[in-house]
Amino acid sequence: MAGRISYSYQRSLIERQQESEDKMLKEFEAGNYTIDNPMVVVNPYLIVPLSAVVLFMTDTETAVTVTVRGKERYGDIRHTFPKAQKHILPVLGLYAGYENKVEIELYRGKKKTITIQTEELDKDVPVCISMKTSPGYLRDQMIFISPALNQLATAYDYRGDIRWHINVPTVFDIKRLRNGNLLMSTERLIEMPYYMSGLYEMSMTGKIYREYSLPGGTHHDDFEMPDGSLLVLTEDLRSDTVEDMCVLIDRESGEILKTWDFKDVLTPGEGRSGSATSKDWFHNNAVWYDEKTNSLTFSGRHVDAMINLDFDTGKLNWIIGDPTGWPEEKLPYFFKPVNEPFEWQYEQHACVVTPDGDVMCFDNGHYRSKIKEHYLKNKDNYSRGVRYHINTDEMTIEQVWQYGKERGADFFSQYISNVEYYGEGHYMVHSGGIQYYKGEAYEGFAANMQGDPDISTRSVTLEVLNDEVVLELVVEGNYYRGEKLSLYHDMCNLKTGPAKRLGHMGVTKEFDTIIEMDSCYQVLPDRYAASIKEEDDRFTFKATFEKGQLVMLTLEKGEEKHGYYISTSANQLTALCCGTFVSKDDRDVTLSVNKAGLRGLYAIKVIVDDEKYETGITVDCGRP
Amino acid sequence: MLKEITEKEYEQYRGSSLVLADFFSSTCGPCKMLSYVLKDIEAQYGDSLIILKVDFDENKELVEEFQVTAYPTLILLKEGKEVERMQGLAAKPAIIKMIEKYKEEK
Repeated sequence: MAGRISYSYQRSLIERQQESEDKMLKEFEAGNYTIDNPMVVVNPYLIVPLSAVVLFMTDTETAVTVTVRGKERYGDIRHTFPKAQKHILPVLGLYAGYENKVEIELYRGKKKTITIQTEELDKDVPVCISMKTSPGYLRDQMIFISPALNQLATAYDYRGDIRWHINVPTVFDIKRLRNGNLLMSTERLIEMPYYMSGLYEMSMTGKIYREYSLPGGTHHDDFEMPDGSLLVLTEDLRSDTVEDMCVLIDRESGEILKTWDFKDVLTPGEGRSGSATSKDWFHNNAVWYDEKTNSLTFSGRHVDAMINLDFDTGKLNWIIGDPTGWPEEKLPYFFKPVNEPFEWQYEQHACVVTPDGDVMCFDNGHYRSKIKEHYLKNKDNYSRGVRYHINTDEMTIEQVWQYGKERGADFFSQYISNVEYYGEGHYMVHSGGIQYYKGEAYEGFAANMQGDPDISTRSVTLEVLNDEVVLELVVEGNYYRGEKLSLYHDMCNLKTGPAKRLGHMGVTKEFDTIIEMDSCYQVLPDRYAASIKEEDDRFTFKATFEKGQLVMLTLEKGEEKHGYYISTSANQLTALCCGTFVSKDDRDVTLSVNKAGLRGLYAIKVIVDDEKYETGITVDCGRP
Repeated sequence: MLKEITEKEYEQYRGSSLVLADFFSSTCGPCKMLSYVLKDIEAQYGDSLIILKVDFDENKELVEEFQVTAYPTLILLKEGKEVERMQGLAAKPAIIKMIEKYKEEK
């Protein structure tokens, strides 16, 4: 046997960023950069191409104002940095493929205008169809949208111009932490369709400060607690169910402090929504902590309900949802509607608890019934943002606000989407999953049909102030959530230095039966287009197999064997909140194996039907 | 015991104390994997458990009789009556757990 399949080693994003930063700082220290001759590095952290860092020294400590000149006056983005002698200043809000004029002004001193040329963004960048608002309304804030299909997270200004974009698939929500940093998922997929290794805490320039890894990975949502610890939605990837757990992680160590397993309060299979499966029985898509009641609210798409648990005891407090079909013993947890109009939410996303205890969500309305015979087709359906007032003493519920129903199927998202609460009468409603097939609301998932000319997708993000729409962004594609954020904030916008990798990956689930077969001593044939990408804590196998082939990857070290079954069957998913990693060719397979739990050197082999092939690759999983 | 059978051959096992029927297709990856799992299970139980493999595409009357809609499907029959069903590729511990539940009842 000679040769091997395609192999690459990928250093972590943190390592690559550190190398880039070290190079930038070394050059800066070696040079003599002043405001007349500043050093400028575009995209020094590799993942935010519309950012730059300007570096220079001043003789005395002085504050500096940086202004990225807009294409018109209202488009200026300005920030004043605190006084210093050594200035390492993030420049945010550059336009793509443009000679950006950036002013640097010392407090009561010199002003210098520099030009920063940026490259065009990739062709997959989300296309803004329209943005209707006023610069006075949005001011220095941007509308950020995060991916649900193959486009990546992007931010738009009041004109619909792109002013921020990330070029790696960090998916699910973009949260701003109280220290000003962003919290997003990593770009590291650990299991299809969208289970990610953990979270990045990063600056708007893309500089990662902390990478949190979790044994069960992350999906959908996270929440910063008042003490700074993080609630993260996760699961036990070694169990038979998914998307039904939440953990609290320590911000400094990444260690898990507390775990909530929804199987402790609900029985899988009860209260099923139209999309529920035995594996994805709850489909937790949001978490919210309410300090006043010391409770957690979770949105479960596949039970058509939002549940509330006591933070300390984990006991079930209440359930918001249509009680039809739930078992008798759960009915006392449900509310009784009072006053008209009132409608329950179905397959909802993104629960929010307002300061006065009201509960909001994006009511996707998918199927809009608990009774199969009454399911609504998508083309006849609607989605809405909704706010409920609940009385937990009398167990009554009142619908106090809604928006979206009046827009019918053109605002309907069977999946994803969110609402945001800014103040009384002031909300965001993001319907990010609008899908059409031949012009009519699509009943399937566009992620499975990417590239089909008959499929078109839309995302509508709007803001309502006292029942008036004051902003409406329409973008081609589907986007998981919308968020309104400023590019700069009042705390430290960029801190150089090493990042931390916290927490740990889990042991990848093995298949209990290993196929005993001798190797044919041939390398896996080229027709399978197989590749292995190794990282310091795992490796990822990719290949293309025909439907119905039996495929198992094995790791072998002498008599020690580990087997990982790879499905080549068509995957009938009923929920696909992030289709970013779904391949256009449904024969493609991806398997990620963590090094956790393994020790020493393992030969990687692949069984395809009746042959066991060599890959020619040995993976080092650390000291035996 | 593990054996692939036809509709006709099934008659001799109908009413047996405990039968695990595997409805499979030769065009299905999970079915192929399940056949290795069942070999493992056979090694554990020997003749105390009858495992019958039924080709989904070749035995339509049995497919209809047991209302099998997808493959692989495992059906556990106790004295001819269905007592448990598993759809999709199941791992060995889950199958053993199911068998043990009804073996104990003997």
